[in-house]
Amino acid sequence: MLDNFYRYVVLNAGLLGQGLLVTLQVCVQAFVLGVVLAIAVSLLRVTGRIPRAIGTAYVEFFRATPVLVQLLWVNYVWPDLFGFPTTAMGAGVIALALQTSAYLAETIRAGIEGLPRGQLEAGRAVGMSSLQIVRRIVAPQVALVMAPALISQMAVVIKSSTLVSVIAIPDLMYAALKIVNEWFEPIEVLTSTAFLYFLLIFLISLAANRISDRFRARFGLAV
Amino acid sequence: MFARLGQSLDPALFWDYRATLLAGLVVNIGIFVASAMLASVLAVAIGVARTSRNRLLRGVSTLYAELFRNTPEYVLLVWAYYVLPLILSRMLAHKLAIGPVPAAILALGFAYSGFMAETVRAGLLAVPRGHREAALALGISHFDILRRIVFPQALRRMLPDALNQYVSLFKATSIVSLISVEDIMYQVSMINVEEMRPLPLYTGAALLYCAIIIVASQTIQALTRNWHRRGWA
Repeated sequence: MLDNFYRYVVLNAGLLGQGLLVTLQVCVQAFVLGVVLAIAVSLLRVTGRIPRAIGTAYVEFFRATPVLVQLLWVNYVWPDLFGFPTTAMGAGVIALALQTSAYLAETIRAGIEGLPRGQLEAGRAVGMSSLQIVRRIVAPQVALVMAPALISQMAVVIKSSTLVSVIAIPDLMYAALKIVNEWFEPIEVLTSTAFLYFLLIFLISLAANRISDRFRARFGLAV
Repeated sequence: MFARLGQSLDPALFWDYRATLLAGLVVNIGIFVASAMLASVLAVAIGVARTSRNRLLRGVSTLYAELFRNTPEYVLLVWAYYVLPLILSRMLAHKLAIGPVPAAILALGFAYSGFMAETVRAGLLAVPRGHREAALALGISHFDILRRIVFPQALRRMLPDALNQYVSLFKATSIVSLISVEDIMYQVSMINVEEMRPLPLYTGAALLYCAIIIVASQTIQALTRNWHRRGWA
């Protein structure tokens, strides 16, 4: 078993490491794009009745479809429909970003609705414009509530990112399956890969919990 | 874009393959039901263990929950399909095969037992301590306290959360196609190979999932509101 571990995992460490880098690359890009889209959708949802309906439909659609289905949909259908993405990498990033943005937009909405109405009314009463109210009263408080949610969403993105191997993005899962298909010795490679993913996601979840606790102690937030 | 979508989303394509698609959906539902039952049973056991006073039991069950909560479902699925039969064969010293369907049920069942154990634990902890103490004072055994006093109350509290977990589990069943379980996504891919029309097929699959999940979660929300009004959730 140790022999096999050396032969299939240690000797292939370079391949697996490259896969891990691709995984992180996909996740970071998807996450950043997801945050930007989430903010855009949230702004859409507070601007008026029709934009709100569109934003809500967007959020509901992407929350209600499985990641794999979205991934295949973006990969096979979008190029035909919108003319992009042209690469598998692009499709993977976009699909994960769409999912992330829908979940985060929902968190932002909950954060905004959790704010006491009196604060907004007070802002208006002292003559602040809507933009000022958002910038000075809403955004800072929502950002505080969001911080732990953002980090745990990062863990979700990494989890979902295992699926991008399906559209031939050479991520960690892809590298592991490639080694398995080459040598037909799955035990050590797949167990190590599973453990690596576990460690990555576990540490991120732990960080999210820590930050959540600290924020609660420091700012008295009920996160 | 919408014209393009409307043009190619012709219902005839889906009608032609209705039997295959329906058979795929039935496979999804079957795997969902089996893994939901497995997850629920495991989650109750682990959830109870996590609130135990025995430190070892608590440690082991926490480790279990963290392990399955933080490992991607797809990784568990592949592990259950490729690695588990090999390890079991070695342990039992005779050859053993696990088909794609049992592997899918095991992987999803164990993955979601981790999430649901957390729900069970939260439900158990939400029961006021005084109820337990009062029952102890009356001389009721620990097992009976759990069965007749704590659990019925905890169940009501965890029901909304557990139902949402079931919805997530149904969503997760879409990945079983990746170990060649003949579910709906598998059938969609197969039909696509034959027809070469990804646009209507994958859009249709996405809309189907979307419709099922939205109906399910809206129903759960309505039920939960109703329960809140009656004061038992």
